Amino acid sequence: MWNNVLHWVDQPFTSATYLGMLLGGVLTLAITLGAVTYTIYGERKIIGWMQGRVGPNRVGPFGLMQSIADILKLLIKEDIVPAKADKALFMIAPIITYVPAFAVLAVIPYTFHHYFTARLNIGVLYYIALSSISIIGIVLGGWASNNKYAIIGGLRSAAQMISYEIPLALSMLGVVLLSGSLDITRIIEVQQQNGLWNVFPQILGFIVFLIAATAELARAPFDLPEAESELVSGYFTEYSGFRFAFYMLSEYVYLIAMAGLAAALFLGGWTGPFGLGWGWFWYAIKSFLFIFLMFWLRATMPRARVDQLMGFAWKYLIPLAILNLLISAVEKLYWLKG
Amino acid sequence: MSGVLGLLKGLGVTLGQLPKKKVTLMYPDVQPEWPDRYRGVHKLMPDLCIVCNQCARICPTSCISLSGTRGEDRKLHLETFDINFEICILCDLCTEVCPTEAIQMTDTFELAEYNRDAIYKDMNWLTENGKQHALRKGLSLESTEEAVEQNNQLEGNA
Repeated sequence: MWNNVLHWVDQPFTSATYLGMLLGGVLTLAITLGAVTYTIYGERKIIGWMQGRVGPNRVGPFGLMQSIADILKLLIKEDIVPAKADKALFMIAPIITYVPAFAVLAVIPYTFHHYFTARLNIGVLYYIALSSISIIGIVLGGWASNNKYAIIGGLRSAAQMISYEIPLALSMLGVVLLSGSLDITRIIEVQQQNGLWNVFPQILGFIVFLIAATAELARAPFDLPEAESELVSGYFTEYSGFRFAFYMLSEYVYLIAMAGLAAALFLGGWTGPFGLGWGWFWYAIKSFLFIFLMFWLRATMPRARVDQLMGFAWKYLIPLAILNLLISAVEKLYWLKG
Repeated sequence: MSGVLGLLKGLGVTLGQLPKKKVTLMYPDVQPEWPDRYRGVHKLMPDLCIVCNQCARICPTSCISLSGTRGEDRKLHLETFDINFEICILCDLCTEVCPTEAIQMTDTFELAEYNRDAIYKDMNWLTENGKQHALRKGLSLESTEEAVEQNNQLEGNA
């Protein structure tokens, strides 16, 4: 029974495996919420330190309760819908954004055992396909708000995310080519077998991935969809309370998911140095490094200009990603025959 | 290429800030040293006021209202003086215009209250604020009385 609950991935569908899935979903949600809470806290602390400040320090010891207090405030706020907004779309747009953000976590293999993640044989494809759906929620939210800043933010977001999805997917394609599989678990296993993390043969792909991922997550220096100085706060200008919280939540869940993906595709996932155990521990460290890089970039870089943004993706990143694909093919032929 | 190096240099600068000493002042626990001419909430010396109404007239937000009566010495004496700190912008114009320096500014600025009436400050509160400010700054309270005497002498000479 417990074997079926815990290892539901490899079992036929029964009530026990269903219980396993349900437990997995609830547990993942709880862990994600906790992780997002402390990602926000960590972001504020790290950016504070980089700016010579101390960051949150009042609520609880070292300000550890700050994010919890913020979330509590958001959840008990009134649910305001602007009078001239498209009510139905305005209300479901944050949900359309959040559901795919949570669903992509299913293929991030935090440990080898897959207690509450799915071992999907098209993991990479699933991630790219689902993360595109969130854009619909963002554009809908911007349009339904009936606000000029929101619509500009929403459309910018659509243009940016669709453009940067291409170099992102192309940079992942190099990894897929080397591993010969779309299954993220298999990609990690191949790295383990070769004894070589993909970041070394795929260094160009990794750089393209980092830049495209930053843009895809709409984080500084590519945070144009919510550019405070121009657009108030972009597509969620009109949102407040728990619907606003859902937009913020999906943003940070994507950050964590992207960190998990970067760790899996390029940094060898759960494999640690010297074959030491504790897969989830190494995974957490690698994900944290990616997340830290995002915070570090935000504390350092000014925002990119709108007219430079699209050109950068189409003129530089996509050709580089295609070049990386060619290099990967050569490597696969003569070096990493696998 | 130099652009990429510039990006890396910038990243180095922000990373270098991490171990440095933070400059944040832990505000409610540690109060900063306010400069002498800090433009905070007013203090009032009612004995100096000649009820000329200039402060009320120059006030850009019309937040000052005052009234006075003519005493037995045929001079005007202040009876009420209110500042509405909901709309006061602490612009210092009333202080600049006051001919007897009856109204001046202090370093008080914490005006948060639980209701609106409470930030409508009257003569007594403003006088008390002046006393507290003098205590904090180590000024002598007699300076007010001296100023009143000096003022009377000047008037007598004229």
